[in-house]
Amino acid sequence: MYEVFFQKFNEKVQLTAEEQDFVKQYLTPKKLRKKQYLLQEGDICKHLCLVEKGALKAYVLNETGEEHITAFALEGWTIGDLSSFIKQEPATLNIDALEDCELVLLSKPAHDELLQKIPKYETYFRILMTDAYMALQKRTAYMISLPLEERYKALTDMYPTLVQRVPQHMIASYMGLSPETLSRVRSRITNRK
Amino acid sequence: MSTKQTIAVIGATGNMGSNIAKNLSRGNNRVLLFANDKDKVNAVVSEIKSNNASADVEAYECPRTASWEADVIILAVPYQAEKEITAKIKDVANTKIVISIANPLNETYSGLVTSPETSAAEELQKLLPNSKVVKAFNTTFAADFSIPVIDGKQVDAFIAGNDANALETVSALVTTVGFNPIVAGDLSVSRTLENMALLLISLTMKYNYNWLAGFKILHK
Repeated sequence: MYEVFFQKFNEKVQLTAEEQDFVKQYLTPKKLRKKQYLLQEGDICKHLCLVEKGALKAYVLNETGEEHITAFALEGWTIGDLSSFIKQEPATLNIDALEDCELVLLSKPAHDELLQKIPKYETYFRILMTDAYMALQKRTAYMISLPLEERYKALTDMYPTLVQRVPQHMIASYMGLSPETLSRVRSRITNRK
Repeated sequence: MSTKQTIAVIGATGNMGSNIAKNLSRGNNRVLLFANDKDKVNAVVSEIKSNNASADVEAYECPRTASWEADVIILAVPYQAEKEITAKIKDVANTKIVISIANPLNETYSGLVTSPETSAAEELQKLLPNSKVVKAFNTTFAADFSIPVIDGKQVDAFIAGNDANALETVSALVTTVGFNPIVAGDLSVSRTLENMALLLISLTMKYNYNWLAGFKILHK
């Protein structure tokens, strides 16, 4: 139930068996069915969520109700509306399940208590946030500087399983493109080969 | 629209369980029902859906799966059955709110089987040490769920528990169901609440209240 969570934790900072048992007390195992919401815009994001199994997407809705995907999460990734979680203010993101999921949730009180009680959790969270920030920095830079073909290739190189598992119109939304534009980009890449 | 809360009702075919499920499915909830008798659970689901086609309610064949998917678990099983069911759901109920509705009555309804220094809710907390056990819905009769306003007064429903966030969540559920929630105190107050239920049951039998009765605190 917590295998992936602890695998990811131990990659960043190694826990002893006792520490692992201690952390376990704070974790909430949760199944989420395909298409169900983990979070809806306007609610407080109560949990940070690590994916044990399945896939989710985070998105904002524009005025016409169209989805703009801001993030995906596959096995081993963490997802949540960070500002809403940290400040406990209404979320701007919606998060729902692309597949049936098994998740590990950490509530804000649990997160705060672990930060205080387990220095290794603080290290884990720091590395998690630093990694996320670096990825975001890279994504922003690519978004404003790279040609579309390069951007798509960078995405497929970085996350090969994502592109296979998620429908292309969602990848297009994530890249800020229409599905038609993404389709042209992909055929240009194929033709060049 | 806010995020739906998923609630598992374990023991969903009993008088209390089925009424709680019916009323909760009117709110912004996804309600998962489990009971030993599969046909009876399906009948409860059909009944809820025939009255409210948009109700998000589903029968589950395994209490563990239902509890794993749930944010809140309602144990609507007799006190005597709690040990067996908690063994099945303990790991997936980790950190979750578990509502204890049971009154540990003896066979003749003349007393409680628990000793005075504990309660059914506290015994449940011992079985599920990492869950947030909350006492609720134990002083309200099943018929009250259809008629939560008796003699012009909205029935009070008392809640007891040790976790402030859990008490807040359960208070909101009590409101959805139709009662007036009153947080009575920490989990040890369950001893009083379970004795209040004993009193209400014995008075109902003695004075023939027709199982439509409840508490109301009168105050200024």
